[in-house]
Amino acid sequence: MTDHVDGPRQIGDPSADLTDLFAFTSPENPEHTVVALCVFPSAGSSAMFSNAVDHVIAIRRVNIVGTGYAGRFKTDEQEIRFTSKFGTLEPAPAGGKPAQKGTCTLPRGQALTVLVHDESGASTADGTFRVFAGLWSDPFCLAWFGKTLTPAPNLLQHDNVLCVVIEFDTRRVLDPSKGTLFGVIAETVPVGSTNPINKLLPRIDWVGRPEQTNMRLYNAGMEGGDDVRDLWNEQIPFAIDDTLRPAFLKQLEASLHNYDMRDGREDWPPDALAAVSEVFLDDFLVFDVSKPITDASYLEIERSVLEGHAYSTGGGRTVNVNVMDVMFTWAVNRGREQLRGGVTVATKPGTNRFPYFATPNTELQIVSETVDLLAAPGEVWSLIGPFGGAWHPLVADIRLTGTGIGQLRTIRTIDGKRIIERLEEMDDAQRLYRYTNVSGIPASNYLGTLSVRPAGSVSSVEWRVQFLADNQPDFIVKVIVSTLLKAGLESLKPRFGAAK
Amino acid sequence: MNPAADLTEGCRPTTDGEIAVINLQSARQRAWSRFSDDPHRPGVAELIVEQESQVIQFLSDFNALDRLEMLVTQIVQVGLPPMRSALVQAQVAAIGHRFDAARRHLAAADDAGAKPDLINRLALSIDQACGLRADALLDTRRRIAAEADSLEALLPLGALLMDLNEFDEADQVFRRALGVYSDVSPFAVAQVCFQLGVLWGEAAPDPQTHVAAQWYRKAIGYVPAYTKARVHFAEICCSCGGLGEAEALLMPVIGTGDPEVRWRLAHAMLEKGNTADAQEQLQAARRRFEELLQRYPLAFADHGAEFFAGSGNDPCQALDHARRNAANRPTLWAFELAHEIAVSVGDATAASALLADAIAHWGDSTAFQSSSLSGESAKRSEGLGTG
Repeated sequence: MTDHVDGPRQIGDPSADLTDLFAFTSPENPEHTVVALCVFPSAGSSAMFSNAVDHVIAIRRVNIVGTGYAGRFKTDEQEIRFTSKFGTLEPAPAGGKPAQKGTCTLPRGQALTVLVHDESGASTADGTFRVFAGLWSDPFCLAWFGKTLTPAPNLLQHDNVLCVVIEFDTRRVLDPSKGTLFGVIAETVPVGSTNPINKLLPRIDWVGRPEQTNMRLYNAGMEGGDDVRDLWNEQIPFAIDDTLRPAFLKQLEASLHNYDMRDGREDWPPDALAAVSEVFLDDFLVFDVSKPITDASYLEIERSVLEGHAYSTGGGRTVNVNVMDVMFTWAVNRGREQLRGGVTVATKPGTNRFPYFATPNTELQIVSETVDLLAAPGEVWSLIGPFGGAWHPLVADIRLTGTGIGQLRTIRTIDGKRIIERLEEMDDAQRLYRYTNVSGIPASNYLGTLSVRPAGSVSSVEWRVQFLADNQPDFIVKVIVSTLLKAGLESLKPRFGAAK
Repeated sequence: MNPAADLTEGCRPTTDGEIAVINLQSARQRAWSRFSDDPHRPGVAELIVEQESQVIQFLSDFNALDRLEMLVTQIVQVGLPPMRSALVQAQVAAIGHRFDAARRHLAAADDAGAKPDLINRLALSIDQACGLRADALLDTRRRIAAEADSLEALLPLGALLMDLNEFDEADQVFRRALGVYSDVSPFAVAQVCFQLGVLWGEAAPDPQTHVAAQWYRKAIGYVPAYTKARVHFAEICCSCGGLGEAEALLMPVIGTGDPEVRWRLAHAMLEKGNTADAQEQLQAARRRFEELLQRYPLAFADHGAEFFAGSGNDPCQALDHARRNAANRPTLWAFELAHEIAVSVGDATAASALLADAIAHWGDSTAFQSSSLSGESAKRSEGLGTG
């Protein structure tokens, strides 16, 4: 018996990959603050937290030193830490999914145990802390092609992420009487590990302000240059290595200058560019608990300090703020003109109810069937190409309403069900049509495509449907759709002959 | 050499294997959805190839080969840019052991302007899988490993050293790979443990099955669903009389569709005297091998040859597969296997031709001197050999 190694393969754990960090005033209780971290980009519906990683949110008090271009944000040494650990899976009752529990260690050493995906989360008896952990719709809206800085559809549409949401009593936990300005970071750190060779205990990832690595330190529109993202991730949050600061600063300045010049106009003279780069180098999300944190307040504190006037909002970052639009607007034209990506909102907006993120997106399901037939494509298309064609053995009758794109077909199946579908695209030249389901199938985002292609001297018919199951298990809807497709295509074999 | 040393060292906490598999499947399904939404999206087709490759490697889910073929059909249909399309097709071809096709796609990717490091990485893997340019490959692997000192760079170096019968150094390299690992995914470390199991259980001239068993056990500890590790461990259990343990290892993965699971299960059942059930498992293994060999003759040629040369009891078919494998992947081991089968069926012409090919490919190498073919070569020189 032999096996070979197919080649080097980076097999990282996506569940340890931080995607975002938030800090905002609780929509349910203005006396409370919410901090949240997200991991696992493009998590599927069954995703679970890694049990080998500490999910940490750390807050430090911040002081503003200097004003205008000399303005900087300096943090205290003292840290308020929330550390969430997750366990291995626990057996589920018969037929159910396995469960996972997590424990969040709070700043004073208390611990709260949460059941992953339980929307009610867990609270301390005195109501000071409340914690949730589970899967939610990704709140990030990535609607730009970074390389060309052109608007795009939301590239994270229908994505989910795993989130840890921590809500706490602002006065009891942060003691605003000693200062109201704070900085927060999130990090994922391997649990209790020692590396026997280099003895390092590297964190896997950390995040302060959004897009520090993938936008500011790595600018896809710049040719050449070093990719310092791995080096950045090795830095200790709140304590960037002094010897490396000049290199990171140089990278930030070059990147931000590149963004500034994307519209052909310089809005950031060298002194301003140096100042904003210094601010971004101290990478933590700044928020003030004495002022309103809104969807419009992200980066307002930094902007105001650099412009030499008092800030008026709580900064921070809400679930619904479009950070890419804010950042590009500031970087490219310094706020002269609002820039907007292809869309301005994430797949689903956040909510005003704990835990404030939107419910996870269901997986898009795909059913695809094909049959190869001993007939010319045109001959097959003449039978199945008409949108109102009555060729399917499970169809008792079919009725068309309207004409052309948008016309409806009402199908009565042989077991008495009624299905209504809408024609979305008809291409006789390509022998293809697309349709959506209006009613009759328990699914949303339903898109069907029927096509006939030449396959050598014969024809290949493909019938493909994608959908999101609607109040039914994916599997059930898949069976319904699959049965329809298979029965239809099978019926073509005796008519035209099946190619082997 | 002390292969039993430090078995408990060098391994760090990783994500629980059950969670990691759930997350792999979760991410894989999501990647397919993203591909369905927009097949042109940068990185998605490539991610699917990586993830499907992982489910083949760790979960023995060979239906992934069908899904990868579907992916290739789709990217050709939608007209992915030539460079990306060629690279994806090269990877898929290599996963199915269609190495000639993989090289053609790599050449097309090169023509289309793919970055040399992307091409070279896959080209190196193909050369290694085929046992080609061993000396130059070893130099390159050593250089890459010295520069990166990462698990990803050390693992293929260790595997190459093992192929070249440099067992002590291979052991050191694998252990270093475990030592420098700084991620929490269990897959990579499970793979290294598995390689160490193969090293000491099968590749080394004096197999140390107790050491191999510990490495396989460790691999399964990291990823309980690691089917290949279970199969290899079960093989050791059977050879040591641990038939119950072998069954316990194999039963949880019987649904994977890996015919080796049923083959080894049949072996364990037969040893226990459970002939009827053993025959049933053997027939199931045969059907599955035939199905896989029909669909993917190159990907399963080596394992198919072993099966039909052994419990599959069809040595002529075994020789066909073994010769096809040696032609496709002229590794020293492929020649050893094919030659052994040719001798066993009494096909002196085939045996002679295989020996000649083996000498042409490997005769000058150090590894050849410790190969079973070396003796045959000497006999041939003296006019006593099989050919």
